[in-house]
Amino acid sequence: MIKPKKINRAELGGNSTKFYEVFARIDSNDVLAHVGSIEAPNDELAQVRAWYVYDQQRWREMCVVPTDAVISVTDKGARGKIKEA
Amino acid sequence: MDRFDLATLAPEARDRLKSDVLALADSKLVLANWYTTCVHNGRSLPDFAAILGMATATFGHTRGLYLYLVNFGIPYTDLERRRDATAINSMNLLDKPPESWEDFVASVYLAEQAMWTFASGFLSHPDRALSGLVQKIGQESYFHLKYCEGWRGIFAGTENAELGQAVARRLPQAAAWFGDNGQNDILYDAGLRALPAAKLREAFLNEVSSGLQASQIDAKLPDPAPPAADWTIERRRAGNIPDRLFGIVQLKDPAAAYN
Repeated sequence: MIKPKKINRAELGGNSTKFYEVFARIDSNDVLAHVGSIEAPNDELAQVRAWYVYDQQRWREMCVVPTDAVISVTDKGARGKIKEA
Repeated sequence: MDRFDLATLAPEARDRLKSDVLALADSKLVLANWYTTCVHNGRSLPDFAAILGMATATFGHTRGLYLYLVNFGIPYTDLERRRDATAINSMNLLDKPPESWEDFVASVYLAEQAMWTFASGFLSHPDRALSGLVQKIGQESYFHLKYCEGWRGIFAGTENAELGQAVARRLPQAAAWFGDNGQNDILYDAGLRALPAAKLREAFLNEVSSGLQASQIDAKLPDPAPPAADWTIERRRAGNIPDRLFGIVQLKDPAAAYN
């Protein structure tokens, strides 16, 4: 039996894989809209992966935002309840 | 603005332009095949998508450059399908397959950086068909180089020294692609390249050095050496591509496939 080569953490993309939210617009009249999310170990690979995964349009603008940087205004959940004091 | 006409060029300049565009196109052909062959070594599904995206773009660059070469009187089908290994002028850097993921990242980084630096010499080329094509290549190469930067960032600060070693090992062949420093550049002298190839080589080495520094990759880069004795400027390579590599990059002639 062939033993698979042991892959180290760095090869897998490091220990700190993060999620990023992807926003894009087709032209300048369009709003910057959420098109999906992407997993990547750093900002550079997040940009590249987002560009190639969400390639369904010829985007004029695309941005990625670390999901951690998104501050939730409403409570999380199906109904999107307003937070209570 | 006067329309650019290849026929007005001196024969030496015309031939060098043809051979330099072919060297770039063939190197792109081999690099695209590296991507498709190595895609399953990608480290996650988004990584597969990125590598395949880079493969698609790189095949597109090859096709665009081959189409430009039709202006020199070479039939497109000959360029794409009817050349043997002795006529494929890809960079020596890509002859030897990657030995590890680190070697893959190092090789692809050097190949992408070398090709973009070389191509950028044509950004202000008087033929707008070529300068426009190079501009498009530049827009797409941005993401390819960003991919390499991302992977360099992953290896930065780890105890893994293999990436730096692979860059140092492969760098001489990447630099050799630009030619001997002492050689005159016919295309620069004819106003067909913005900088002499020797200056582009210097810019390439500076980019690699600062890229590694920015990514905190410790690499002892070798002193630049002249290309191998059998290296020729007409092919920008020494010797022929290995048979095994030719078997991978060769586009099969549909007619021959049915015989």
